[in-house]
Amino acid sequence: MFSLQGVSKSFGGVEVLKDISLTLHPGERLGITGANGVGKSTLINIATGFLTPDVGHIKLRERTLTHRPAWAFAQAGIRRTFQTTRFLATSTLGEQLLLVARTPECRARLDALLQSSGLQSSLPLFADEIPLPMLRKAEVIRGLAAQPEVLFLDEPSAGLTVDELHEFGGFLQQHLHRKTALVVVEHRLDFMTMVTDLVVEMHLNQGLQLGVGGC
Amino acid sequence: MDLYLASVLTNMTLIAFLALSAYLVLVVGEVSFGQQAFFCIGAYLTASVTALAGAHIVWGLLAGMLAGAVCALLLGFLTIRLSGLYFAISTLCFAELLRFSLLHIRFTQLIDGREIGPDGPEGFSNIRWIFEHNYAVTDFLLLAATCLLILLVLLFGLQRSHLMLAARMVGNDPVLAQSQGFNPHRYRLVFIALSGAVAGFGGGLFALFNTHIEPAMFGVMLGVHGLAYSIIGGLGTPLGPLLGVMLDIGLLESIRQLAAYRMILFGGLVALLLVFRPEGIASPRLVARLRRRWGRRRV
Repeated sequence: MFSLQGVSKSFGGVEVLKDISLTLHPGERLGITGANGVGKSTLINIATGFLTPDVGHIKLRERTLTHRPAWAFAQAGIRRTFQTTRFLATSTLGEQLLLVARTPECRARLDALLQSSGLQSSLPLFADEIPLPMLRKAEVIRGLAAQPEVLFLDEPSAGLTVDELHEFGGFLQQHLHRKTALVVVEHRLDFMTMVTDLVVEMHLNQGLQLGVGGC
Repeated sequence: MDLYLASVLTNMTLIAFLALSAYLVLVVGEVSFGQQAFFCIGAYLTASVTALAGAHIVWGLLAGMLAGAVCALLLGFLTIRLSGLYFAISTLCFAELLRFSLLHIRFTQLIDGREIGPDGPEGFSNIRWIFEHNYAVTDFLLLAATCLLILLVLLFGLQRSHLMLAARMVGNDPVLAQSQGFNPHRYRLVFIALSGAVAGFGGGLFALFNTHIEPAMFGVMLGVHGLAYSIIGGLGTPLGPLLGVMLDIGLLESIRQLAAYRMILFGGLVALLLVFRPEGIASPRLVARLRRRWGRRRV
């Protein structure tokens, strides 16, 4: 179980998150929507260790991660994607994906994911030679190959057409491990209803209990 | 071989170590203006071990390399929270601190009727190992070039390794690296320590070749040049820094007609490259493209 308990975060006196809690059990799929600036991205950044909350705790199972650096979150099995796809300009897509596959099991999963993704022909290319839908897929593959406990997707629909988004959603549903919890931060409800169990809307400065299971 | 040519080549080989050490720091995304400090530490250590303790140069060079690595690691720990400009300044401060400290370190001993050892601003004279063992300039060149070749082979072996690729990810996009579970501090420390080892080793050779070293030789400009060679040459391959060394020392410093204009031409070259090829001549991108074109194995 992954949880955020009573998390608040301010930036220079502006309180972006106020008393937010989030509980995720293995395999739960949660969608989060809300207007711009209500702190959706801040929430992801806190839940993945890129920001430290002013108040509150973050726990994975019984382990407290609150003040750990982001790489420790990733190693513990909390992975994310970024709003703008993030790849290095200096090595090929294949190299970058291989780099992340550190164990033989991870490598095997990566190979299987690549097989069914249609990305194989893009592997020798650089990121700026690959169309965006492919990059989105590659990014989610990078996350899935690690078989994380929780996977956060930050606006995966950005820049995709309806068809592309549908294909992306289908791929995600097909390959998401049944024990991996998923959180999607998005504006596109069609996509969220496709891949998540429940969609909640965030508002500014509102104490919120987020979660699917309701506990 | 012509003596002048041999000494120019040796000089290039020695400075190549410094350039490669700057390159290793650049790979993890930091700029160091202080690599000359590790070069200096290596030089003094090797000089002490061979001239004062009378040991073989193998021990001298190993001691220099180790001391360089340890000091670099120490500096790495102290500056772990610094990056960018702040890291650059702290490396510069460290190097200057060391240089000024050496002005006050005196520890000379009378060996065979000669005063040997660090003697403040006078430096460390009579590092006579290569004379005593009848090394000609060309012999020493061969030794230094072999060491450089071994280093290059090691670096090329690392080039496609997990360590190097992860370090490049840390250097290019630390946020991405963290999101994939790579600890940037760890890669930074490893590479800074490696850079210290490389500089320390090169410094040891430098001391042996020059037979006299003094604090003034390890000023900021030495480090700036080492850094500039890497930036001009590009970070795509360990050959990049060598390219920088060849351009500056091989062409500008060594051709007499050009030597007078060296700093003007070199400065101009750096400025032009920063405008037209900010990632250096052998940029990572270019190297990756060439590798793809000629690559045998596609991932």
